[in-house]
Amino acid sequence: MALAQARAMHPALAAVTEDQAGDANLLDSIADWCQRYTPLVAVDPPDGILLDIGGCAHLFGGEARLRDDLLARTKSFGLSARAAIASTIGTAWAVAHFGEAAIIDAKSTGNREHPTSGARDCLAPLPLAALRLAPDMVAALARLGLKHIGDILDLPRAPLTARFGAALLRQLDRALGREDEPLTPRLPIPPYVAERNFHEPIAREEDVLATVERLAARLQTTLAARGDGARRLELALFRTDGAVKRIAAGTSRPIRDPQAIRALFVERLAALGDEIDPGFGFDLARLSVLVAELRMDEQIGLGTQENRAEVDRLVDRLSARLGRRRISRLIANDSHIPELAATAMPAQTLHAERGSGGWDAFRRFHAEVGLSPRPLRLLTRPEPIEVMALVPDGPPLRFRWRRALHEVVTVEGPERIAGAWWSEQADADEGARWPPAPLAGATRDYFRIEDKIGLRFWLFRSGFYQDAPPGLPPRWYLHGMYA
Amino acid sequence: MAAVRPAFSSSTEGPAARIERLRRTLCTAETATGLAGEDAAPLTLGIPLIDDALGGGLAGGALHEVAATCEPQIPAASGFVLALAARHTIPRQQDAIWIAEDLSLAENGLPYGPGLHEVGLAPEKLIMVAAARGRDVLWAMEEALRCRAIGMVIGELRGCGIDQVATRRLALAAAAGNTPGFILRTAPSDEPSAAATRWIIGAAPSSSALRDERSSAGPPHVYRLAAHLIRNRRGHRGAWIVEWNSVEQRFELATDSVSVAQPVFDRPHRAAVA
Repeated sequence: MALAQARAMHPALAAVTEDQAGDANLLDSIADWCQRYTPLVAVDPPDGILLDIGGCAHLFGGEARLRDDLLARTKSFGLSARAAIASTIGTAWAVAHFGEAAIIDAKSTGNREHPTSGARDCLAPLPLAALRLAPDMVAALARLGLKHIGDILDLPRAPLTARFGAALLRQLDRALGREDEPLTPRLPIPPYVAERNFHEPIAREEDVLATVERLAARLQTTLAARGDGARRLELALFRTDGAVKRIAAGTSRPIRDPQAIRALFVERLAALGDEIDPGFGFDLARLSVLVAELRMDEQIGLGTQENRAEVDRLVDRLSARLGRRRISRLIANDSHIPELAATAMPAQTLHAERGSGGWDAFRRFHAEVGLSPRPLRLLTRPEPIEVMALVPDGPPLRFRWRRALHEVVTVEGPERIAGAWWSEQADADEGARWPPAPLAGATRDYFRIEDKIGLRFWLFRSGFYQDAPPGLPPRWYLHGMYA
Repeated sequence: MAAVRPAFSSSTEGPAARIERLRRTLCTAETATGLAGEDAAPLTLGIPLIDDALGGGLAGGALHEVAATCEPQIPAASGFVLALAARHTIPRQQDAIWIAEDLSLAENGLPYGPGLHEVGLAPEKLIMVAAARGRDVLWAMEEALRCRAIGMVIGELRGCGIDQVATRRLALAAAAGNTPGFILRTAPSDEPSAAATRWIIGAAPSSSALRDERSSAGPPHVYRLAAHLIRNRRGHRGAWIVEWNSVEQRFELATDSVSVAQPVFDRPHRAAVA
């Protein structure tokens, strides 16, 4: 019915604009909070959540108490909810949306051919929409006089399939347990988890860190039993009012030591600062290992092993505080283009390889080929300069860079470095990256320059004068500086 | 700081012995304040003249300040510091760490792998930290200085946010971790600082002789720096023109040119200190 009609019937009706995105976000955050009961949680848009509590119910005192706890908490958030527990997704969905019962008894589960009598009895009086069928199929069935699930339970299967397709009977079979319906959890299940409930919610940072250390001690025994160490950890803090704060931390090498894990989270909390707002407190803290790797037990002793471990710990601390991408090491690439010859990779990810990062090969190449010396510092984007040269394609006589004029005393060059002619198209799509599209495949002539004061530069001319279009002479750029 | 009063001895003690005694007093005072690393090996430059002026070399567990003459000279100052890093960390197989603000790296460029190889520093031994703010640079420097496994910490700082409190913290961290720390500045400053030595580094033109011989070959591969030592706790100040020999990993005095400022020879007690 139209809003005007509804308002005519009830003048005091409140109308709120629909906000689908906001509703989806709210549903997602409720599903996030439901992770406190079980790791297998799926969102059932637009207004449902599916939880697989097989194996978790006993932690909360049974299925009935879990359901009561869930409903009580959602009520305290200001939401009205209906919950049903059954042995299949289809039955639970049907009963939660359309039925009255709370828990469909799973104790009298039969085998596949004879589904539980409890499920059949519950489903029979429900309308056909409870089977999650398309509306036009429900309308078609209604025209035939089939309005409740009980009507189609005992009908012969072949004519139904012929008339309505396989979907109808598949949904029925899934509801009755004759066919399996898996639940795809919204978050992957971590291999190791330790959690702790608080009767009195905690809010102080020292308490959170002390909890982290205790949970890490519990994880240490399970990790040690398998010989694993944690590479990536996540601390999930569940607030009393339903919000969930997740803090992740990574390491360069697999660790197990509770003090080291605590030190990592000290840095993370320091970096996040006010974003972790405890509100009225956290009543559940869960430490999970998202990525675990085999950890070789190392001997404690003097020498390079101990040094390396200490450097890794420093890298972990710096990465936790400043961000993984800001701490990097250089690796050599097999590229003749100068800005691609060396790249900076996050230092935490490089631990596993621990080779020379390609620099041995570079040193061999350098010794064989006799490469012209490279600058000590390379600008990320070569800066355009104004150059005066005697001969158009020749070395520069003087140039102006950042508003200062430099007189050239000695020049070495040109060293011709051709662009990556095969990837001109790819570079053109890069957008704001260097080099800009028209110069992507251009050949560069590099010159090593020393000026009157003694400053040494590496600059290049992009393109040739004779090949350039009339209005666009080749540009000169400064790429790097020598010591 | 503990109050140490040097007792004035009788006049029979020669000037050399007196200076030696004062040096020892200074060392004790420094250790008491925590500004001297325990048994940190000094960083020598390879030039006996400069190393003697430094009292054996740059102090291994202390903070040193290297300023470029002006901003375009930063690559020269970087070269000086990275050459020292190569000399000091390669024999010990330790890593060096370079900490800079994003703005510094954008203005003056990132350390370039093949260029580091030219200096003689293995690029896989350098850890680079890019910080968003100057405060983060100071924090990262302190953390890295405390770590004993790091060979050298180089922090590129711009602006004048580095007051004496900050340098003192860094000096204490360097002493605690027995790691040499270098602050690389874009311009010299007069602010008081707790650094053990202060340098001003600029680029020097290659020698005219070399230029005449190899003008067609361009700038020589060895690079030349003008180094002014403007503050030195353990000796006198001076200015030299040095060249870095990356093959032998040592500095050399430029042979064909004189230093910009002569070390003072005409003071009477100067001759005793050698």
